[in-house]
Amino acid sequence: MANYGMALDYKNCINCKACEVACKEENGVQLGADKHRIWVGVKEIEGLWPNLSIASSTFEPSQCQQCENAPCQEVCPTQATHYTKDGVVMVDADKCILCSYCMEACPYDARYVKEDTMTVDKCTFCSDTRLLRGETTTACQATCPTKVRTFGDLDDPNSEISILLAHREHRTLKTHLGTKPKLFYLI
Amino acid sequence: MKVEISRRRFLQGSVALSIIGGTSIGATSLLSDENEHGEMRIMTRTTNTKAQKVPFLCGMCVNKCAGIARVEKGVVVKLDPNPYFPKSRNMLCPRGNAGIQTLYDPDRLKYPLVRVGNRGDGKYKRVSWDEAYDAILNGTDKFKGLLQILDEEKDNRSTIGYCNGEGLSKEGFEELMGLKIGTPNYVDEISICLETVLGGYSATIGAYGEADMSNADYVIIAGANRAEAIITPDTMDMFKRSKGRGLKTIVLDPRFTNTAAKADRWYAVNPGTDLAFVLALTYVVFDENLYDKEFAKKYLVGYEDYKNHVIKNGYTPQWAEKITNIPADEIYKTAREFMSSEHPIYYQGRRSVFAKNDFQLRRAQAIFQGLSGNLDKKGGIIYGKKLALPKEDVNSPMYAQAQDRFDKEGIAIFAGKTGSWIVFRNMVLEGKNPYPLRAMFMRKHNPMAGVPNTKKTEEFLKKMDLNVMIDILPSDTTMFCDVILPEASYLERTSPVASYGFLEPAIVQRKAAIKPMFESKTPEVIYKELAEKLTEPLWKNSLKYDEDVQDDTKGMKADELAKYYKENGFDLTEPWEKSVEELNKERVVKAFGEEAWNTLEEKGVYYPNMDKYHKQLNPNEYQYYPDDKKNYTTKGDKLKVVVNFKNLAKKGVDPMPTWHDEWAFKVPDGQFRLVTGRHAQFTQSGTTNNMALRDLIPTNYIWINKREAKKRGIEFGDMLEVKSSIGKIHIKAYPTEKIAPNMIFMLHGFGGSSKEMEMAYGKGGNDAAIIEDKIEPVYGAAVMHETNVEIRKV
Repeated sequence: MANYGMALDYKNCINCKACEVACKEENGVQLGADKHRIWVGVKEIEGLWPNLSIASSTFEPSQCQQCENAPCQEVCPTQATHYTKDGVVMVDADKCILCSYCMEACPYDARYVKEDTMTVDKCTFCSDTRLLRGETTTACQATCPTKVRTFGDLDDPNSEISILLAHREHRTLKTHLGTKPKLFYLI
Repeated sequence: MKVEISRRRFLQGSVALSIIGGTSIGATSLLSDENEHGEMRIMTRTTNTKAQKVPFLCGMCVNKCAGIARVEKGVVVKLDPNPYFPKSRNMLCPRGNAGIQTLYDPDRLKYPLVRVGNRGDGKYKRVSWDEAYDAILNGTDKFKGLLQILDEEKDNRSTIGYCNGEGLSKEGFEELMGLKIGTPNYVDEISICLETVLGGYSATIGAYGEADMSNADYVIIAGANRAEAIITPDTMDMFKRSKGRGLKTIVLDPRFTNTAAKADRWYAVNPGTDLAFVLALTYVVFDENLYDKEFAKKYLVGYEDYKNHVIKNGYTPQWAEKITNIPADEIYKTAREFMSSEHPIYYQGRRSVFAKNDFQLRRAQAIFQGLSGNLDKKGGIIYGKKLALPKEDVNSPMYAQAQDRFDKEGIAIFAGKTGSWIVFRNMVLEGKNPYPLRAMFMRKHNPMAGVPNTKKTEEFLKKMDLNVMIDILPSDTTMFCDVILPEASYLERTSPVASYGFLEPAIVQRKAAIKPMFESKTPEVIYKELAEKLTEPLWKNSLKYDEDVQDDTKGMKADELAKYYKENGFDLTEPWEKSVEELNKERVVKAFGEEAWNTLEEKGVYYPNMDKYHKQLNPNEYQYYPDDKKNYTTKGDKLKVVVNFKNLAKKGVDPMPTWHDEWAFKVPDGQFRLVTGRHAQFTQSGTTNNMALRDLIPTNYIWINKREAKKRGIEFGDMLEVKSSIGKIHIKAYPTEKIAPNMIFMLHGFGGSSKEMEMAYGKGGNDAAIIEDKIEPVYGAAVMHETNVEIRKV
């Protein structure tokens, strides 16, 4: 039993999208720009050339926030969306009826429709691929050129993620919604 | 595991190239070896089954990052970073990850093809390898063969040209074409890439060096876009420390790039005027005595002449402000900050030549670096070390009839080996070559997309009697070839072992993850077989025409003649007597012993004491060498910075960096300056057919300033015609404030014209079709940012 989470040193992100491709290859995510488990959020730059605000141009790598109080899980009528014993929010494709309540409920827009199975899909922390084989990193973490992500067990005080969170300031996204995300953005 | 694009489409893609033309082949037979390699899939998914893990070196761009291929049931399903290679820092970029899609690209060249239609119409016949080699030697009813050409040219080997793109098998092609077949007429990517950067730095500080971005505390990065044009290890090291975390970052670029987004300050410099900026920085440093005086006295040869030169010419920040669009105050501030930093770096830059003054710009940058004294030391530009591998000598024959290369027009310093693509091509087109150029042997190179002025490249290719291409995909250039030889992609071949130097040197080996698919062959096997086919007939041609050979061999008996042929290197096959695998083992064992070879085979990487030095620091990072074993300082007293390079004057080149007013940035009213560049998701035209990457960037756009676009009624996605003096393209608009009102920007590598590359065909615009074929005067390298264009909505 673990309690998996992820810390993102998001200032390192150069928006190269290596993580997106690695995720697709590892997990068999379909081709198509609308089908992705992870993404990099980009904001339109503020200002007029040549007086542009560098601070306004940020890259925010994101994916399913693996909430402790996941709204998607609450609304699922068939229990397709569930927690694993390691605290990962997963979708059981056999139970999913594509009612898409979960897609509406997710405040982070982290779900999409997988068209070969016609079910909802999302980030699994590579639970059914890499972790199943005993690997200790997710595909997005392992490939990252600037090493944005650190994945690990939040309940293990000696894990790298626990050490990082103990020593670095961090924030979560849309904290006020009470979803208790387990993705932590390092400041 | 599922087929993620329809099987029908995949089949269509596979057979398209092979069934056009004379012979029609059933689709089933084309996929006859499908079972052998497992079911073809476009998107992969890993499973829990037992997998082979094969160390490879990435071939998606020039960096050669190390990876581990996960192979399940004969199919490559995932590429992961290899944590042992210091240079690539345990990562793979998006292109590295998407290598699987290049391996399994439905449009790959699968079989040898011989042209049966007209050049450019795409009609080819599938042939056997021997028939393809035979067509190269003897021609067909559609084109002349090499033997007839060399017979007509009386064995003047120089009538054959060749070109090659960057890669681990490039050297072998040079051995075959240059050293063995004997032509000097070779062009490659250097003269359309970073020739002036390499040349300028080598002429000034003795090497291009490596910027120690892990330890620098201040960097000026001008015209280099490390966040998008990824270079290892620079990119990895820079952006973990930018944004107020130890590496102050000053970016100069005409447009706002992802690198600018990571900067402390961004200056929208006018294209082609960086030299004025560096001269003004230098002015401040001399005027305010900010330079490292002891270091200058010791190592900077002629720095006092330069001081007088810079002061006398009045290269003040006020002077530079007008030229560069960078405020004088900012130039003062930058110069002072740079010189007061402990480890400042003026980043060398890479990629293409921007403007005619590029050689002088790089000289000025290197001298400026020298003035800080931050050379050959931690946090500076370092020289490092390289692990030596034994070299196999090639016994190269002498051909009396072969002549010197001719592409020297307008060039001050003639770089003998690789020449200038533009000068070479244009002199042939203008009939200025002193002897005919009749054939082009090409490999992994796409001049139709890479060399400015695509129309001229097409004319040039059409002028040849014989064009041969070795490649993995039917590129624009491939479609003008007579014989096409399908090469195994980088994941299907073991490549010659390579050594990478600098701070943390290592030996690396690319191993084949799977066997070559379809009928493709590895480059070295192709060189060998081609050499076997050509060697006897070409030798006979030399006996017929080469007076030196005739004199030498007069009255020789058959066995003596055979001995002469071998001993004097006329046997073309000699460099390929051993396989790549055998040679790799031999070379590594000879240099480092059996144990090193075993490590290299298993891990893909070897360096002395790797077992002791290599440590995992955290889940993401590794130590490759302990800090006290890194090669920060290797030059010592041999260090020399050539400031006043008097010999250059004899060649008509300024001996010290000097600004000339004709280099000022000028754009006529109503026109735009075209600037081009790269991004992290595509390398060049070679990666544009990759499905996973197409997902990320489906096409290129023309960046146009938002306010300028509004004035002209241009909105996002509108199709524009972009026209220069040499051509026009159609490309969609992307209005943005990230570019100046009198400039436009487009990504390089798009706009493919080969219909056989289904994903790339017709997507976006090809910049080479509109960039005017101008050269800089030192090496004749292509100048990429001196073209003005007109645009209109269509």
